[in-house]
Amino acid sequence: MSIRLENIHKRFGAFTALGDISLEARPGEFLALLGPSGSGKTTLLRIMAGLEFPDNGRVCFDGEDVTGLTVAERNVGFVFQHYALFRHMTVAENIAFGLNVRPRRQRPSRAMIAARVQELLDLVQLGSLGQRYPAQLSGGQRQRVALARALAVDPKLLLLDEPFGALDARVRKDLRRWLRELHDRVGLTSIFVTHDQEEALELADRVVVMDHGVIEQVATPLHVYNEPASAFVFDFVGESNRIPVQVRGGKLFYLGQPLDVPTIGADGPSELFFRPHDAAIVKDDAGAIPALVVQVRPKGAGVRVEGKLIGIDRPFEIDVALDEAPEPGRIIALKPGHPRIFPVSREIDG
Amino acid sequence: MRAAKVIPGFGLTFGFTITWLSLIVLIPLSAVFIRSAGLGLDAFIAVGLSPRALAAYRLSFGASLAAALVNAVFGLLVAWILVRYDFPGKRIVNALVDLPFALPTAVAGIALTALYAGNGWIGQLLEPYGIKIAYTPFGVVIALIFIGLPFVVRSVEPVLADLGHDVEEAAASLGAGRWQTFQRVIFPAILPALLTGFALAFARGVGEYGSVIFIAGNMPFVSEIAPLLIITQLEQYDYAGATAIATVMLIASFLLLLFINALQVWSRRRMAS
Repeated sequence: MSIRLENIHKRFGAFTALGDISLEARPGEFLALLGPSGSGKTTLLRIMAGLEFPDNGRVCFDGEDVTGLTVAERNVGFVFQHYALFRHMTVAENIAFGLNVRPRRQRPSRAMIAARVQELLDLVQLGSLGQRYPAQLSGGQRQRVALARALAVDPKLLLLDEPFGALDARVRKDLRRWLRELHDRVGLTSIFVTHDQEEALELADRVVVMDHGVIEQVATPLHVYNEPASAFVFDFVGESNRIPVQVRGGKLFYLGQPLDVPTIGADGPSELFFRPHDAAIVKDDAGAIPALVVQVRPKGAGVRVEGKLIGIDRPFEIDVALDEAPEPGRIIALKPGHPRIFPVSREIDG
Repeated sequence: MRAAKVIPGFGLTFGFTITWLSLIVLIPLSAVFIRSAGLGLDAFIAVGLSPRALAAYRLSFGASLAAALVNAVFGLLVAWILVRYDFPGKRIVNALVDLPFALPTAVAGIALTALYAGNGWIGQLLEPYGIKIAYTPFGVVIALIFIGLPFVVRSVEPVLADLGHDVEEAAASLGAGRWQTFQRVIFPAILPALLTGFALAFARGVGEYGSVIFIAGNMPFVSEIAPLLIITQLEQYDYAGATAIATVMLIASFLLLLFINALQVWSRRRMAS
């Protein structure tokens, strides 16, 4: 099923949670809503589910306006961050809940419900745990029960609110891969909320980056990472170095000195962004950025060099090969690769 | 060798607990049993299970059960309102709930009697329809409802507050209506706490004296509660008789509370937390 949001506005008192959001998810797509806390991503998800209602705008499922429908009428599967399992019910009873509460005419027979529950238990790889209570399960298992429960009612859309937020790192990684496989198998349009860029980039077909109640960029993970649409997106989807610069007549100046970096963009105060793994240490310090090395630590195949930029006293971090590792205390010349330049408009969080 | 424990001091605290419980609860209670044992079995039955005493037990336990049931329903409602909604004067309502805890029971009894007597504010409205509350078993129930309300409210409140909104939202997203959500999701979750409140209100009702004697009228076989019967025996210097009645009450209360406890354990085990 496709879902379309048109000009969604939502305010909580004086606080604007969402300002004019329009968004579309294609059938079978796996979409990530990525943003820091307070960016409005969860509110947006809850509006799609019908747990929250927009002040303005429309929500359409397959072109049909569902803005006024409640969550019970929309037939969406919703997975909560803290699982929201019914503690007094067994795992099997939890999964069967959505079928058991149907009006008698639409309710499947007891045997059919039992068969469906077993099918879902197998799907989420909890085949033999149907008679356990939620308290007897691990966090990852509980989240899978929550997922099976949401899938039991054959939803048209699956919405997940920080589905891995409460899990530890290892379980999170396993469950992430498993969820991607499950999505590919079931083929349900799915949208999940996360503040973890790694999760969004690894899992989603497209990533919606949000900040302060507006969408900053909607694109594939590769596109978002390599061609961020704004300073905020660059900073949020990966590690970054930020350097204040001036653009004058198509040239870049750092502390009054010209930088040997290709420039497009309007004149004025700007910020230069580059990723740690895109920087190089150069011998010739003309057109490069002088920096003091403070610490060198192993990272992957190479090393991570951390220190301070000379003159502006700002930290930097770059990744270089092991044989290029400088001594701590040395002054080096940095040359950013794949830089992005954004004009200074508003302050970025973090 | 003794294994080291993370939480030390079991022996000491357990010893203290037992000593304290013995001093405060067990020794006085066994005194009741020993005193009544001096009576001999025949005399014990004659006093403790006399028709008048039986009628008093029936009233005491029956009225307490009825009051606890009413409190379970309306106490849950009050707790629900206090937890779920914000309204002006909420703090005042919150404080009002505790008033029956603090009010001297005699004051409550006198106030209730003044209200429900044939010429009282409420009593005079009901009098024309032939409904009498003061000086009947019904009055006893009213007094016990007043006394027991905070127990239910204060037991249910924290559990209800602890019950996340997300559970309800989950139920709704799975297609459950409001009543289904309450009946299948919320109620089972607060049932153990509700039972606790019920048990406390009931226990308090059985032992209540001050507020009841004013409104009850204390007619033997009709509106005479068991604690009053004990006082009556004491006033006649029949200590053995008084302890006989007390013994029967103790045993009955103990059995009922044990039953309610078992019910709680059962419902809590279903929560498996």
